[in-house]
Amino acid sequence: MNIALESLRPCLDGAVPAVVATASPDGTPNVAYASQVHYVDPEHVALSFQFFSKTRENVLAHPYAQVQVIEPKSFRHFRLKLHYLRTETSGPLFEYMKAQLAGIAARTGMSRVFALRGADVYRVLDIENVDPRLLPAPAPPDALLKLRGALDHLGACDDLAHLADRALAALERGFGIRHALLAMLDESGSALYTLASLGYPASGVGAEVALGEGLIGVAAREAIPVRINHHTGDYTYHAALHVADPASPRIPLPVLANPHSQIAVPLMHGARLVGVLYAESEQNAFFSHADEDALVVYGRHLGALVVQLAALPDDAEPIRATSSPRPSGAPLAVRYFAHDHSVFIDNDYLIKGVAGSILWTLLNEHAASGRRDFCNRELRRDPRLPLPDFGDNLETRLILLQRRLAERCPQIALAKTGRGRFRLELARPLRLNAA
Amino acid sequence: MPTPLILSPEQTAFLQGPLSMNVGAVGRDGWPCVCRAQGVIVARDRRSLTVLLSASRGRAVLEALDAGSAITLVVSRPATHATLQLKATRAMRVGVSPAHRAASARCVAAFAGELETLGYATELKTTLASVLPTDDLVALRFVPEIVFDQTPGPDAGRVLART
Repeated sequence: MNIALESLRPCLDGAVPAVVATASPDGTPNVAYASQVHYVDPEHVALSFQFFSKTRENVLAHPYAQVQVIEPKSFRHFRLKLHYLRTETSGPLFEYMKAQLAGIAARTGMSRVFALRGADVYRVLDIENVDPRLLPAPAPPDALLKLRGALDHLGACDDLAHLADRALAALERGFGIRHALLAMLDESGSALYTLASLGYPASGVGAEVALGEGLIGVAAREAIPVRINHHTGDYTYHAALHVADPASPRIPLPVLANPHSQIAVPLMHGARLVGVLYAESEQNAFFSHADEDALVVYGRHLGALVVQLAALPDDAEPIRATSSPRPSGAPLAVRYFAHDHSVFIDNDYLIKGVAGSILWTLLNEHAASGRRDFCNRELRRDPRLPLPDFGDNLETRLILLQRRLAERCPQIALAKTGRGRFRLELARPLRLNAA
Repeated sequence: MPTPLILSPEQTAFLQGPLSMNVGAVGRDGWPCVCRAQGVIVARDRRSLTVLLSASRGRAVLEALDAGSAITLVVSRPATHATLQLKATRAMRVGVSPAHRAASARCVAAFAGELETLGYATELKTTLASVLPTDDLVALRFVPEIVFDQTPGPDAGRVLART
């Protein structure tokens, strides 16, 4: 092919509808609008299969098609000769197209009639530039440069809390992203929890997303990036639809009510999913294909850094204690519910799950022995934490707990006293009560 | 003799609105091909249509039609997605008149105007006029034998009229 399929990616975002021509076995032509022509790799595209249409009937009988796509802004037309190969009805490609179709459907006001049945995969045999005398659309800003800017700003981080905040701030510097959050995969692998956020009135730290739900959950379950370039009315693709357990107390995700562009990229360390980076914008078509590429690289970099920082050994000794004020005033009522490890302070929900269990253990230990200094290593071994192997999640859980306390109950604080070490600081006496 | 198909007044009015238009055919080698059309004119008796294409942009489609391919025309209104597909077993080239050129310019401007109301950039009118110039137009006349409702949705493909 004289023209590389990669160079046509701006035409494959659904901004201008494409048409597909097919032929029936008796040679009758058919032309239909294609909701989505999706870039799969340098040799393949996929078309959305939504209805049992003439196009589909034709390609199943005679697997050749021509697709005409249009470059936004320049309006240059390109024609792709395609050979139909197969239909995928599950898996990463299907999930990506399903999510993206929701965005396209909403932009065109067709949400009700757009449901993806399959991703029809075609090999691209030839590409024709229909308008060779026209100038191409101006190149979008260089995503590699944006990535470099973000990494420069990220710099060297020596602890996870610092990394989480810098990773989001760097997005603003590098990519101009103003709303984003970092969600980490929990120990069970069935949900993610928000560790840090950027640009929202409430931080949403601790908010959970079930695997497979919403854009964040789909990106996590499939370990793929998912990008929607238009506002979607399809509730399924809001950043998160459900919490892991709808009956449990919950912290709302801080996301925009009506994002016009969304992207979720997995944080990977090798083949292992660590979390998801989610970003959104009030502008349409904010994230280009190239931005997606760059953010995928960024997600891999962050995934590796998270694992690397979490694996560093704890400090041998805590930093020398400075004297803390004695708790004073009316006692805070701390209630613990063992079934979901939720903790309520003066009847206000604070946290649940692993972080709730850790807090309850620390407070009980302090009540029994007066101890205030703790280290991660002992928590990893503590039999009172009846939880699966923490792995490197313990550190992120402690950050979550620390942030949640700072937001909701500053009278109880976890102050860092070294790597893997922290001190429990209480401004008020506590009354502990397990339900 | 089959009863000739006469386009309804509504279909005729629709065909005169601001539309995105594409013509398809099948080459002798069996490959389907498509080209954006840039004007459509419904005959006074509502039995035939003249569709306008650029000769250079539509080379494959024109070759296929010259070789005897059937023709299909798909027209869609951007604001509503209402879409019709009209097919015929043959199409015939006819001479291009100044009226055809004027009709093409009018159709392209109406299409651009509609896109502008949908939020596309205002310079689109100029862009489209340069993408779809009227200097190498070809006019194709055909008598539709079947008309489909092609509006996206589960009813797409419903036959509205046939000979």
